[in-house]
Amino acid sequence: MSDAYLWDRSGEPDPEIQRLEDALGPLRAPQPPPEWRPQPKVHAIPVRGAWDARWRGAMAAGIALVLGASWLVSRPMGMGWKVARVEGAPFVGSRPIRTTGRLGVGEVLVTDGGSRAKLDVGEIGEVELEPNSRLRLVRAHRSDHRLALDHGILHAMIWAPPRLFSVETPAAVAVDFGCDYTLKVEDSGTTTLHVTMGWVGFEQDGHESWVPAGAECIRGAGKQPGTPYFVDASDAFRASLARLDFERDPTALDTVLALARPRDALTLWHLLPKTGGAAQGRVYERLAELRPQPAGVTRAGALSGDRQMLERWWDVLGYGDSSFWRIWKGPSPFAAK
Amino acid sequence: MEAAIGFPIRAPGNMTATAMPATSLDTTPDTAMVDAARAGDGEAFGHLYASYARMVHGILMARVPPDEVDDLMQDVFLAAFRKVHTLRDAAAFGPWLAMITRNRANDFHRHKPEMAELTEDIVAADRTEAEATAILALIQTLPDAYRETLVLRLVEGMTGPEIAERTGLTAASVRVNLHRGMKQLREKLGGRHE
Repeated sequence: MSDAYLWDRSGEPDPEIQRLEDALGPLRAPQPPPEWRPQPKVHAIPVRGAWDARWRGAMAAGIALVLGASWLVSRPMGMGWKVARVEGAPFVGSRPIRTTGRLGVGEVLVTDGGSRAKLDVGEIGEVELEPNSRLRLVRAHRSDHRLALDHGILHAMIWAPPRLFSVETPAAVAVDFGCDYTLKVEDSGTTTLHVTMGWVGFEQDGHESWVPAGAECIRGAGKQPGTPYFVDASDAFRASLARLDFERDPTALDTVLALARPRDALTLWHLLPKTGGAAQGRVYERLAELRPQPAGVTRAGALSGDRQMLERWWDVLGYGDSSFWRIWKGPSPFAAK
Repeated sequence: MEAAIGFPIRAPGNMTATAMPATSLDTTPDTAMVDAARAGDGEAFGHLYASYARMVHGILMARVPPDEVDDLMQDVFLAAFRKVHTLRDAAAFGPWLAMITRNRANDFHRHKPEMAELTEDIVAADRTEAEATAILALIQTLPDAYRETLVLRLVEGMTGPEIAERTGLTAASVRVNLHRGMKQLREKLGGRHE
């Protein structure tokens, strides 16, 4: 029998191949495949045929996250985390890392201008430390993996359930929601969070920003909370936002509102509870213009900081359901109001 | 012609939009999507995911237990999403993704957890799935290139030209691997051909 059917299904069908195709059908990838969402890996107990459940629906995600968290917290942890030299001569305390070593709780990992290091975050991810950086291991508990970046740059890739990993900086705490991100702490203490994938909460003094992939958030040296923005926003938009956040220049709001795109609803939504008076009304109007508020959200409620209303509005912005941010705990961006 | 069992990568320049299979989920050339994905466009990466999901699924299915495929598939696409900006040649996306997939499957075997044995009762609980798993287990005993190509054809339903286009293998290699792999599979199944 010719190979034509085997090759491209042309020609006379081969009964044995057809039988194999039918028999192997249950193993085939779903067609079409589920929508791509660059969600972080969660350590759920594998369930046969759970493809759709994992990729669809907050309920299933929540269950998986809870299962994953249970699995993680039940696992023993070793003493400290493994450190590997990437280049140059990084140190743990006074010990040079020639190939690999371990970073214990309370110890400091330091890189000079010519060195870089990689750190395994328990079993939930990895962190790469850039040159001229200083990183401390604050806590290595099964349910709380915490680092402190005193200065420099780190890249984190975490695949654990939300809130198991966090990084303290002089300006704020970056709380992982399962993602890939970069933190930069300047000598002045100014801290910049850039999220490549997933989501990160940026918290300080009860004020939290929600930063999705493609966005950044800056905290000033004096811990002034910056407002998240997408990095593809115009230079003028970003410069005006910085003047508004860190120089308290009220005239900058005009430019921010004028240049905001629908995608910049992220910024306006965070600005809403931070502003007051007439300015707050203008932010509301512009946000409603770019992303109309859903049913049940009133002007009065939004301006008064009604949490439920604002979270309902968040849910239609396209950055993930607010319940995701609420799975564990934590203050909302309007908590400081 | 055992040489065809390897993974001769076709020159990326041969991959053109006109070579896209008829079943492709998007008519936009992959290279444009890869370029956009490298620039951080998540939606573009979503298109690539839709186009290559079957290939990744099939390569994994050829190498790891079926129950592990979904988790590993997520790992593969997350890794690709994270590293796509490092890919120099957009036209080489398919072979590059296939390489990531094979490496992830190899990693799985290096670090695989202890597996509990299935009892006959559990196996018998779903005879359709049990038959599929039994046949897959036979395919997994074939040499790498044969089993991968056969799984992409018999499990994922890709045609030979699609397999070549997606994985970067030459059409001739795919054809030989399919032919020889099928011959060996028939023998293992106690087949009656050749």
